[in-house]
Amino acid sequence: MVRLKSGRDLFHRWEGNPVLALEDMPFRCNTVFNGTPVKIGNEYLLLLRVEGQQGYSFFALARSRDGYHFEVHPEPVMLPAHDRPWNDYECAGIEDPRATCIDGTYYVLYTAVSGRGYRIALAQTADFLAFERLGYISEPGNKDGVLFPERVNGLYVRLDRPFGRGIGSIWISYSKDRIHWGNSRVLLAPRPGYWDEFRVGASAPPIRTDAGWLEIYHGTKMTSSGPIYRTGAALLDLEDPARVLARCDVPLLSPRTDYERIGDVGNVVFACGAVVEPDTSVKLYYGAADTSVCVATARLQDIVDCTLNGSKPG
Amino acid sequence: MGQRRGPDIVHRWEGNPVLSPEDVPFRLADICNAGVAKVNNEYVLLVTIQGLKGYYWIYAARSRDGYHFEIEETPLMGPSGEWPDPTVDEEGVMDARVTPFGDSYYVVYNAVGRNGYRLALAQTSDFRSLQRLGAISEPDTKGGALFPEKINGKFVRLERPWEGGSIWLSYSEDLVYWGESVFVMGPRGGYWDGNRVGAATPPMKIAQGWLFLYYGIKETSAGPLFRLGAAILDPEQPWKVAGRTNVPVLSPRTLLERLGDVPNLVFSCGALIEPNNEVKLYYGAANSCICLGVTSVDDIVQTCSESRKEF
Repeated sequence: MVRLKSGRDLFHRWEGNPVLALEDMPFRCNTVFNGTPVKIGNEYLLLLRVEGQQGYSFFALARSRDGYHFEVHPEPVMLPAHDRPWNDYECAGIEDPRATCIDGTYYVLYTAVSGRGYRIALAQTADFLAFERLGYISEPGNKDGVLFPERVNGLYVRLDRPFGRGIGSIWISYSKDRIHWGNSRVLLAPRPGYWDEFRVGASAPPIRTDAGWLEIYHGTKMTSSGPIYRTGAALLDLEDPARVLARCDVPLLSPRTDYERIGDVGNVVFACGAVVEPDTSVKLYYGAADTSVCVATARLQDIVDCTLNGSKPG
Repeated sequence: MGQRRGPDIVHRWEGNPVLSPEDVPFRLADICNAGVAKVNNEYVLLVTIQGLKGYYWIYAARSRDGYHFEIEETPLMGPSGEWPDPTVDEEGVMDARVTPFGDSYYVVYNAVGRNGYRLALAQTSDFRSLQRLGAISEPDTKGGALFPEKINGKFVRLERPWEGGSIWLSYSEDLVYWGESVFVMGPRGGYWDGNRVGAATPPMKIAQGWLFLYYGIKETSAGPLFRLGAAILDPEQPWKVAGRTNVPVLSPRTLLERLGDVPNLVFSCGALIEPNNEVKLYYGAANSCICLGVTSVDDIVQTCSESRKEF
C-alpha cells in the first residue's frame, strides 16, 4: 500500500539552499540573513540584513531572474544614519527590513537599534538602492513591524511586537498619514504549551487571500538552551483585520536542517517576506540560524487550508 | 549663622495627610496618588484608590481651600467593560493627570489589563462625568501627561515607555493617532534618579518654558526610593531640556512617606500654580495617603538652574 508522503513541513525547502551565505557576499561581513523580497516585473529583489564585522547590522541588495539565484550589489544600500536626529535612534544598527508596496510606492519598515531601545522606522524607496527615511513610527521597545499592502477602510494598518506586561504579542495599529499611529490592540498572543508559547511576532507583510489577510508570523518556544524560532500563519478579516478568523495550530516551517540549526543563532527560521507567484505558489524567504538566507515554497491554498484546519495533524 | 532651609525645597503642610484611608467612607486597600485641577474656586483631586480586590479606581475629592477635602462615595472611573476591547482597563484605571485645555480638562490616565499598562485619555468640564476617548499609547507606557496647549499646531504629551525607563514625548493632530515620538530625558547613572524617571505632574506654562515635576527612582537593596525632581522644557521645542534639578525637590523623610504599602515613596500626579506663584504639590506618600507640599515657581526654577552647586 502506498502512503502519500507529506514531508516534514508544509513549506518545502529549495534543495539549493542557502540562497545566499557569507561566501556569496561581495564584501567582508559577519553574516547575511533576514531578507525581504519584492518582485518587480520579472526581477526578484531581496533587501538583506547584513551584520557587519563590527557587530551592527545594515542592508544590502540582491537581484535574481528566477528567485533562486541571486547576485549581491557590490556595496551596502542602506547604512545606519549618521545625521541628527536619525542617528540618535539607529546608532547601533538597522535590522529586519520588511518591504510592502502600497499604491505603487515601496515602503520598508525596519528596526532601528540604539541605547534607547528598539523601535520601528519607516522608509520609502523606488529602486531599493536609495531610501528616504520618513520617520520613526513606534515608541521604544517595539520591533517586527509590517505594513498591510493596501489601506483598510481608508487607514494604513500595521502589525508590530511591543511587550505588554512582559508578554511578546502581535499588536495591530492604524494611521491616516503613516506617521501618527493609534487604536492599537492585541491581535495574536503566545499560546501556553504551544510551539509559539514564548513570543510571537509578525514575519511577512500580510497577503490578501479570499479567506482573509494571511499573516505568516514567527513564534518561539523557550528551551533550556535558548529559543526555537518557527513559522506559523493566521488569517485576519479583510474588512476588520483586528479580527482573527483562524490561526494554524502547528508550525509551517521549523528549523531541521544543518543550515537552520548551526550558525550564530541556532534553531532559527525567520521570514521577513514572501512572493506570491502568478500560479499562486508562495516563495518564502527566511533567515536561517541568523547566518544565511534560504527559500521555501508552498501552495497558497495549502497554507490557507492548513491555517483553517491547523489542528488536524495533532 | 545661616538661615535654616528645611530638608527639601518643597515644604510639607503641617496638617498632612490631606487624605488618608480614615477619611474615606468605604473600605479600601490603599490610596496611591492624585491629579489636581482648580475648577472655578474649587479644588478637585482625582485620587487613585486600590480597592480591596486589588483593582484600581479613580475618585474625585473636592475642597474650597485646597487643604480640606471631601471624597465622593462613588468612583468617577473604573474598569469600563466597554471599549472596543474590554481587556484594556479590566484591572482598573490609575494615575490620573489633569491638564486644563481651553474650556475643558483632559485627563491622561493608565488603563491596566492583562496585556499591559496603556495611556488612555478622557475629557471633562466639571469632574462629575467624564467622556472616555480611548487608549492612546502602546503597551507598558505610563506617566502620560498632556501639554496645556498645542505646540506648533499639534497636541503634545509626555510619556514613560517601559523600555529605557526614560521620559519621551509624542505629537498628535487629533488626540487619536500619535507619532514623532522623541527622547526627552533619561535616568542619570549614580544620581538619585539613576534607575528610572517619569513625568509626575503635567507640564505647566511658565515664563521660561514648560515646568513639570518628575519622579526619579534609585534602586536599593530594600527596593526602590521614589523621589521628585523638576525640569523645564523649551517652549517651542519641548524635547529640549532647558533646565533640570540635579537634586530632588522632595524626598521621603517623614513616617507618612516611609511607612506604607510601598515605603520610601513620594509620587505626584499633579500640582497647581496659584496666582501668587505659590505651587501646591499634591503627592502620594508610601502609596497609603495623599499629602500636600508647598513651594514657589521661583524656588523650583532656581533649583533647576543652580542646583549644580548643591552637593
